[in-house]
Order: sequence, then C-alpha cells, then structure tokens
Amino acid sequence: MGVASKVLRIVAIAIFMAWLMIPIVWTLSLSFKPYLEWRAPHFWPKNPTLLNYKILFFYQREIAGTTGGTALTKPMITPLINTLIVVGVSTIIAVIIGFFTAYGASRYNSPGPFGLYFTLLTRMVPPATFVTPVLIYYRMIGFLDTQLGLILLYAAATVTYSIWILKGFIDQIPREWEEAAILEGLSPLRAMLRVTLPLIKSALVVSGLFIFLMNYSEFLFALVLTTRNAVTLPVHLTTYVGGSGVLYGAQAACGIVASIIPLVIGYVIQRHLITGLTFGMVRA
Amino acid sequence: MTEISLKVENLRKTFGNTVAVDDVTFEVRRGEFFSLIGPSGCGKTTTLRCIAGLEKPDKGRIIIGERDVTNLPPQMRNVGLVFQEYAVFPHMTVYENMAFGLKIKKLPKDEIHNRVLRIAELLNLEEYLNVRAGRLAQALMQRVALARSIIVEPEILLLDEPLTLVDAKIKELMRRELRRYQKELGVTILHVTHDQLEAMMVSDRIGVMCQGKILQIGTPIEIYDKPNSIFVARFIGSPTMNLIEGRLEQYNDELFLDADDVGIPLYGVSSEKLRGYIGKDVVLGVRPEDIEILTQPTEGSFAGKITLIESLGSKLEIIVELNSVTLHVLSPLRRDLKVGQPIHLKIRPTKAHVFNKTTENNIMLEEV
Repeated sequence: MGVASKVLRIVAIAIFMAWLMIPIVWTLSLSFKPYLEWRAPHFWPKNPTLLNYKILFFYQREIAGTTGGTALTKPMITPLINTLIVVGVSTIIAVIIGFFTAYGASRYNSPGPFGLYFTLLTRMVPPATFVTPVLIYYRMIGFLDTQLGLILLYAAATVTYSIWILKGFIDQIPREWEEAAILEGLSPLRAMLRVTLPLIKSALVVSGLFIFLMNYSEFLFALVLTTRNAVTLPVHLTTYVGGSGVLYGAQAACGIVASIIPLVIGYVIQRHLITGLTFGMVRA
Repeated sequence: MTEISLKVENLRKTFGNTVAVDDVTFEVRRGEFFSLIGPSGCGKTTTLRCIAGLEKPDKGRIIIGERDVTNLPPQMRNVGLVFQEYAVFPHMTVYENMAFGLKIKKLPKDEIHNRVLRIAELLNLEEYLNVRAGRLAQALMQRVALARSIIVEPEILLLDEPLTLVDAKIKELMRRELRRYQKELGVTILHVTHDQLEAMMVSDRIGVMCQGKILQIGTPIEIYDKPNSIFVARFIGSPTMNLIEGRLEQYNDELFLDADDVGIPLYGVSSEKLRGYIGKDVVLGVRPEDIEILTQPTEGSFAGKITLIESLGSKLEIIVELNSVTLHVLSPLRRDLKVGQPIHLKIRPTKAHVFNKTTENNIMLEEV
C-alpha cells in the first residue's frame, strides 16, 4: 500500500472517530464545568468541579445557590433503579417470549392468516399512535406510573425484535440435530433446551443487548405514562431545569452516569457480540 | 426361522393431498442390511421418518423387535438415525457427541467411557475424540454421526442418504467401511438412498420404491436379473436397460419382437408364459451387457449399424441403430469395431425380459 493511501486511510478514520467521539467528549467536559462556564465557548473546563455530579445524588436544598439559586431537582437514584428494573425485566421477558415464538415459527407452520408477519405490525405504526390509547387503558386498570405498566409495554413493543433476530439463528440450526437428540432419548422440549438453546446463546445475548438499549433510551412512553414513582432516566434527564434555564452541567453529568451501565454490559458480553453480530455462523 | 427386527405393515402417510407412502409393507431381518431405493419423492425418506417416529403415519403398523411402536414417541423406540445432513453437535467434542445419548440414558460414567473408546476404535475416531465436531471434515463428521447412532445400541439403525454429501472418492471407501462395521457389529440397518449403485454394493436385500409403493423386494442380484416391472428394470443398472416396444410374434417355433421396421429374434426364449402374449403389444428389455456383437450372422442374430463408440477404459459403450430402434451395447474392449460399420447382434439366451405393455409387469415372472 502506498504512503498516500495510508495517510488517506488514517485521515478518514480520524474524521470518523472525531464525528463519533466529539459529542461524547464534549458531554464529559461539560459535566465537569461550573455553572458560569456552561455557556462559555471553551472546550475544557477552566475550574473543574464535581458539583454537577453532586446535584445528581442530593436534594437541591442542600446545594442551594450553587446552580443559579432557583433550581429544584431530585436525585437520580430512584429513576436509575426504576430504569434498571423496568428495562432489565422487560428485556428478559422479550427475549424469553421471543425465543419460544421464534422457535415455534421456525420449526412448525405458524397458524392463522397473518402468520409471523403479524408481529411486525406493531413496529410499522409510529409509536405516538399508541400513546393516547395506552394512556387511557392504563388509567382504567391502574397501571399508570407503575413499573409493571412500563415493563409490560416495553416487553410487548420489543418482542418483535427478538423474534426476528432469533428466528434467523434458529433457522440455521438443522432440525436433524434435535431429531437426533430425540431419537437418543430426549423429549422434544428437552432437545430444544439442550441442543438448540446452547447453540444460539450468542444470539440471545445480542438480541437482549439490542432490546436493552432500545428500552433504556425509550422516552415517549415513559414521559407520558410516568409522573413520580416509576420515572425512568430519560424522563428524569428533562427535569434538570432551573429558573435561569436548563442545568446543562447536571444533564451532562447524568448522561455520563447513565451511559456507564450499557458500556459495562457491552464490555462484559463482547465475546458474544462477535459471534452474535456475524449473524449465525454457528457451525464454524 | 430368522428373527425379524422391523416389520412395517400397510403403512400410509399423506401430506395434504399428496400420498407420500401408499400401503407399504416389508420386513427387515435381524442383522440384515436392507436398502430402500427409489427416485427422490418416492416416499422412501418419509417411510424412514415414520419408522423413527418423526412423522405420524395415517395408517398401518410399525413393529420394532417385539414391540408395536406405532404410537410411541421417537425417544421410546430404540432406533438410531443417521441423517444426510450430519447430525453432529458442532459445539461439542467428538467424545461429548458420542457420549450424548448414553448420558441421556444415565449410564454410569466408566461404562460410557468404555463404550465411547470401543466404538471410537472401531470407527478409527480415537485421534479426534477431543476435537470439536464442528471442525471436522465432512466424511469424518458423518462417521461421528454413525458412531453416535450405534453407540446406544439401537434395535435398528436407520440411514437416510448418509453418503450423498460425501465426496465421490471417500464415498466409495465409506460404503465399504459401512458394510464392514455392519457385519462386525451385527447391527440391523435400514438404509435409504436414491443411488442404486450404492444400494447394490452394500445391501443384503433391496426394496425398490416408486410413487409411495414398494414395487419389488429382493437381493441385489435378484432385482438386477429379474426385475418385476419396467420401472425396476430401468431404475437398476447403469447404463440403463434397453427397452423396445413391439408386438410379440412367432415364426417357425421361434419368438421374435416385431417393432415396426425391425424384427428382433428372442433366441432361446421359450417360456410357456409368453405363448399367451403372441400377437400382443409388449416391451422387450435387454441389459446393454447382454447383447453380443458379432461380425458374422449366426442363428438368432439380427443386423444393425454402429453409430457411436465410447470408451469406458476397460469396456466399450456402443450405440447401434437398427432402422428406428437404437440399442446401447456394453462390450469388452475390442479394436475391430468402427463407427458406421454394419454388424450383427445377438441377445444372450435367457437374458431377454418381456414386459406386459399395459401393466408394465415382467411377463416371465408372472404366476401361471
């Protein structure tokens, strides 16, 4: 490879990296800036402070005066716990139901006039369409502002993804492998659990992560359906508003804290991501 | 009396409006290598899957050993099955694959270990025991699949086109090995294939299937020498049997076939069964190797002209024209024949088959 093309390649990568990283680095830098620097044009904080992070975890009255005086914020602990419970449980439900549905669709003819394509329907309509009906329903059955309400909704909305991701993987596993296990003495259910399930472990992890990220950043439904008890992080982020405007520093700090969790999860499961994202090279 | 390992009685299976298996009845004796052959779509694999319990038959009974297993789930039937697609779990080692079925049966650990080692030795798999099965070559994978199936000691082992995907060269070797394992272990095998040559090589007996029915059951030699119908005659043997339509006639006590502009004498054929067909339309079948090429006319010969000679190495495949009839002849290597040369042909005595044109059955085998 010539020098010119080598340089060109590095430049291209650099531009791409800058495009990806600048917003993140900028957010990180903003989270350490004191109130007076939030709107200042310089990139790095001149007087770095941890105050923004303090705002996240303490009631505003204890830190009054430091953020322009009039802000009234709540700690992010409850929203964080809410988010982890709601997103975690809904992801697990979506993956489990998705696996069994995908398995059934892959191994048996799906009944009814719609078949599996019916499940795509919920993703074809803009989510905003559902907001009002769901709001009315939830008010009637008392699901408003509850974790359970959000869990059920998130699981229902994302199960489509796990069905379609997992079906692709299950389709690639020859039926004969299960049949061989059945002939050797396993029941069909146990053959599925002992032969097919281990082979698509990576796919389960990948679809799980995908769904987790989608639900983790879901805003619209959370905003409409929660008020106090079941507020999630994306909604909580919007509450950092004071009398003198948005508390950018606190928002940035909250965003940084919030992104640590997916980062850690992604790191832990990266082994699966490689096999999972190559979409089903299970035989190699 | 020989023991029966598998008995299939009046098996019938339909998919929607298609009849896949239509009233199939046969038996496999203990220790026998039985092959079901037929073109794809003839119902042989469906029959096999019904026996394994992977498909539910509409009608009929399946008896394995002494037990009627018709309504038992596959895991209770004590059958092994080797698929065309290698049913080997790629995420497990060869050892784990082989031990899988034994672990399900909850055998003690050292018993499992001993059996795995014994079968591995027999199938030459010892050096691969700790290799992940997904990394093996095709032929080896199929050997592991075979090992997995025989290690659980099934009453009957079912093979579903096991060698179709294996390379041609290794295939030949594996056929021989398969035959050897089968005899050494004394397993009963029901083998399904569309490859008639493979079936002829490995089987004790063969059942020829067509459109869901079994047409003929017999040893490879029986089926080759005495095909009971035009279909069997055409399906078995390569190059395929010559089939000539015409009217059976008699002249001076000798029978001959009148095919419009050609008369083919059936020299030495004097079956009483044919007498009733004189003057009727029949189909004459002669295998290419049962026609002799002569340079001088003799008694019972007829004239033709060579249009093509293909060398198969040790043999010649010669195409001969007799007016409107074309015959394939398989002859030992000889150098005195040329394209365009007029020659004389003679059907070896007793090697002519005469089929009823309407029923397509072999007249010589009909009960009188």
